[in-house]
Amino acid sequence: MQRYGIPLERREKISLTVVFILFLVLAGGLTRLQILQHPELAKQSENNRIRVVPIVPPRGLVTDCEGRIIIDNRPSYTVAVVPAEVSPNITLPNLSALLGLDTTEIRKRIKKNMVSRYQPTPVKRDVEFETVAILEEQMTRFPGVTYQMEQVRQYCEGLVAESFTGYVGEVSQQDLKRGSVVDLRLGSMIGKKGLEKQNDHLLRGWEGTAYLEVAASGQVLGPFEGKHKIAAVAGANITLTIDIDLQRACAAALDTFCCGAVVALDPRNGEVLAMASYPGYDANIFSSVVPESLWQAMSGDTTHPLLNRPLNGKYPPGSTVKFVTVGATLEEGIINENTTQKPCTGGFRFGNRVFHCWQPGGHGSLTAAHALEQSCDIFMYQLGLKLGIDRLSRYFALCGFGRPTGIDLPGESPGLNPNSVYYDKRYGENQWTRGLVLNNAIGQGEILVTPLQLAQFYCGLANNGVVYQPHIVKLISFPDGQERTLQPHVSFTLPFSPKTMRVLRDGIRLTVEGEHGTARNLKNKRYSIGGKTGTAQNPHGENHSWFVGIAPLEAPEIVVCAIVENAGHGSEVAAPMVGKIIARYMEKKSARSGLSMTDEEDKP
Amino acid sequence: MTLNYRVLDWKLIGAVLLLSSIGILLIMSAQHYADSDFERTYFLRQLIWLTIALMVFAVVIHLPLRLFDFSAYLFYAVSLGLLVLVLLVGTMRLGASRWFSFGPINLAPSDIVKLTLVLALARFFAYTKLPPVSKRRLALSGIMMIIPVALILKQPDLGTSLVFFVILFVLWFWSGLQPLYVVLILSPIVSLVAASHWLSWVVYFAVLLVFLFLFRPGFLFGVITVVANLAFGMITPFVWNRLADYQKLRILSFLDPGRDPRGAGYQIIQSKIAIGSGGIWGKGFLHGSQTRLDFLPERHTDFVFSVLGEEFGLWGALLVLLLFTFVFYRAVRIAARCRSRFASNVVMGAVAILLFQFFINVGMALGFMPVTGLALPFVSYGGTSLVLCWALIGLIVSADYHWQEY
Repeated sequence: MQRYGIPLERREKISLTVVFILFLVLAGGLTRLQILQHPELAKQSENNRIRVVPIVPPRGLVTDCEGRIIIDNRPSYTVAVVPAEVSPNITLPNLSALLGLDTTEIRKRIKKNMVSRYQPTPVKRDVEFETVAILEEQMTRFPGVTYQMEQVRQYCEGLVAESFTGYVGEVSQQDLKRGSVVDLRLGSMIGKKGLEKQNDHLLRGWEGTAYLEVAASGQVLGPFEGKHKIAAVAGANITLTIDIDLQRACAAALDTFCCGAVVALDPRNGEVLAMASYPGYDANIFSSVVPESLWQAMSGDTTHPLLNRPLNGKYPPGSTVKFVTVGATLEEGIINENTTQKPCTGGFRFGNRVFHCWQPGGHGSLTAAHALEQSCDIFMYQLGLKLGIDRLSRYFALCGFGRPTGIDLPGESPGLNPNSVYYDKRYGENQWTRGLVLNNAIGQGEILVTPLQLAQFYCGLANNGVVYQPHIVKLISFPDGQERTLQPHVSFTLPFSPKTMRVLRDGIRLTVEGEHGTARNLKNKRYSIGGKTGTAQNPHGENHSWFVGIAPLEAPEIVVCAIVENAGHGSEVAAPMVGKIIARYMEKKSARSGLSMTDEEDKP
Repeated sequence: MTLNYRVLDWKLIGAVLLLSSIGILLIMSAQHYADSDFERTYFLRQLIWLTIALMVFAVVIHLPLRLFDFSAYLFYAVSLGLLVLVLLVGTMRLGASRWFSFGPINLAPSDIVKLTLVLALARFFAYTKLPPVSKRRLALSGIMMIIPVALILKQPDLGTSLVFFVILFVLWFWSGLQPLYVVLILSPIVSLVAASHWLSWVVYFAVLLVFLFLFRPGFLFGVITVVANLAFGMITPFVWNRLADYQKLRILSFLDPGRDPRGAGYQIIQSKIAIGSGGIWGKGFLHGSQTRLDFLPERHTDFVFSVLGEEFGLWGALLVLLLFTFVFYRAVRIAARCRSRFASNVVMGAVAILLFQFFINVGMALGFMPVTGLALPFVSYGGTSLVLCWALIGLIVSADYHWQEY
């Protein structure tokens, strides 16, 4: 026993002392509860029950870049039942008549939302005040039924802004299983889509708790003395990069068509200025129970109102991606800015097939910038052949296609950027022709992009190749006064040298200002504008109409990408639409600078 | 092996048997008014489990202790394998995968690992030539303990993980490490907590320095302790202040689920009311109103002590506390008497498990310990736990029987 620092007897003594001390601690605690606090606790046990009521903090508000409220809260009444206090034969039929829900539906809702048999379980949210008045007057007819004041989400812009706001809904079993939020409970609300989902942890705050003493009859006697209530922590407010004026302009511009999408980005920092999807839905309907019939109608609608087109609409980009084709060829040294290709006669023979240009009469011999101006397909076919499928695909990837942009909204689609590996898998090795590259070179064929990806690419063209991460959250204001501004950061840089960029920028400028520019109608005296039209053939009918516009060209501040589904030529539908949206932006800008000028003039 | 049954420690066995029987009565009472037949017959199933546990106990006392000594590391390795397996295929229950399901039987491998860790550490400390304060010795034993903890932490279970720490600390102490060192090794954790306010941390640090000066644990050890304490104390406020309010709340409610008043906090309030309303004499068997009215959650498992307090009052609860204390007293005496160092360590390891679970569980029911989901040994409903506890008693009784052997 030499090795041991302390002799065995002492270790034994210490151990026994610990055992006795622990015994004394427990016996002491027992005595305190069962002798000293006995009268009080016995009273609580016999006469009272404690009801634990969550104090739901107001969810954070969401405002646009100028502080105008986009998502608000409004007070409402929620009818809830305490399952343990319900008498099935009285409560359920009466409640069913009062709420207009049948009893099986009520049972189903209780089962879905129940946390404990002793806590109020929401049955119907956002009920009329009259309903609550009846409850209050005729309490004896509704044993176990209570109501609570609750804040309901109010989407002030309804149909206009739902593409990024998303909506909230009741916590589901899947939400609980995911288990990312500690204080999640059935019956409470959680962000289900859009920024409500992405920023749920910030917006939701932290629930507090009130302890109420409830008599056996179910009557609330008042706060329970034994335990202090725990205050709720309000959710953080979020300021978006969105400008609601511009957002409304986008929604209004889309309103006359069947389906489409608009994304407006600030190329200098990646801020999303507006983002609209059409047709949409009113986010407010999700605040209460969504009737099954409405839900079915929306999911079955062939115009897909629930599809968030800017992020999840996958479209052939058409001519809008010819900048990638031209850029890649210039960058690889295959052509230079003065090189012409075989003159365009309206058709191009490859193998035993003739590929057509959109201009049946042909464009003649063109340089790169002019080929972009007139959107000549024959020119692009030849570049595509010289590049080959994999080199073209690599440049598409380097320009941000085929992968999500990483915008701070959930569920973004990556689009599709096919290469030879993809084709081998799809058609079998050597079972496909090199002719596929011709289609991809003009943005047809298998390649699919989202409007956001396209807008992001043009931001790079507008901003000397530097692409900022698109984002929609500008500022988070925590309830304790702390603020966090989200700094824009560079997502990637386009793979083009300054020399190549000059040619591409010429193409952008000539599309509007050139004599033969496909969007020359947009030319105006007030500001310079550039862009690219696109007319995408698709299996669903009439061509999709694309336009991506950049303004002002000297120092670009806004990129607007619009698609109108099955509406025809890009120059006829999407281009004027983008023109209107950019006009709205420039108007606002000049109004702002006009204002500041008068301010200065006012000064003595 | 034939045993001379008269020499077995019948007082110890009797006390544990009494505790198990009380457990069955309490489980019966806890679910007496339950809605389903299945729940009402929990006590019958516990009775079957007790039979199995007694058979395990009989097997253990008939096996030579040397067998456990030789195969300690093997058992340990196999049980770690089980833990990995449960991570891969374990059934999800109550938000954590802690069980194997074989039809109606759910097996918690973490319970088995408690036993094998005690055996492995007991063997390690019994034969190592390293001096008690040697860093290698502390580190090796620490690693043996931390592997199962890491595997269990993947299944979120704070309470069980703490049991493993306690086993290690108790065996460190029992194999000769001065309590002073155990205190110093734990001190950075105290520093972490004390750093929540600068004043408390300064006071704590001053006390630590005085402590080091008085006891002089060795230069290197002292320096490491001071540096570790400084580091933990500095980092905490820095990180903490950068967290948003809701993040702080989330961390706190992980450490102490009792803060979540709709979950565990509600349970604690109801448990205190149940025990307190029991008074000195209790409300009588099957007459606990808190229990009957369904207010008391988990009343046949984690909160079985509350049923005891409510129905049998102070005298019943004190009786159970005394029975436990008697068991621990006996066991410590046995550990001190054993000539085999392995046997002595095993007994102290068993005491560590049982004492810690006992204290945390009863403390939780009384409302001053966090809700951790640790069962009350011998009493709570649960098959694996009961079998494990009886296996531990088997080892203790066996060690006592063979106390003269080296």
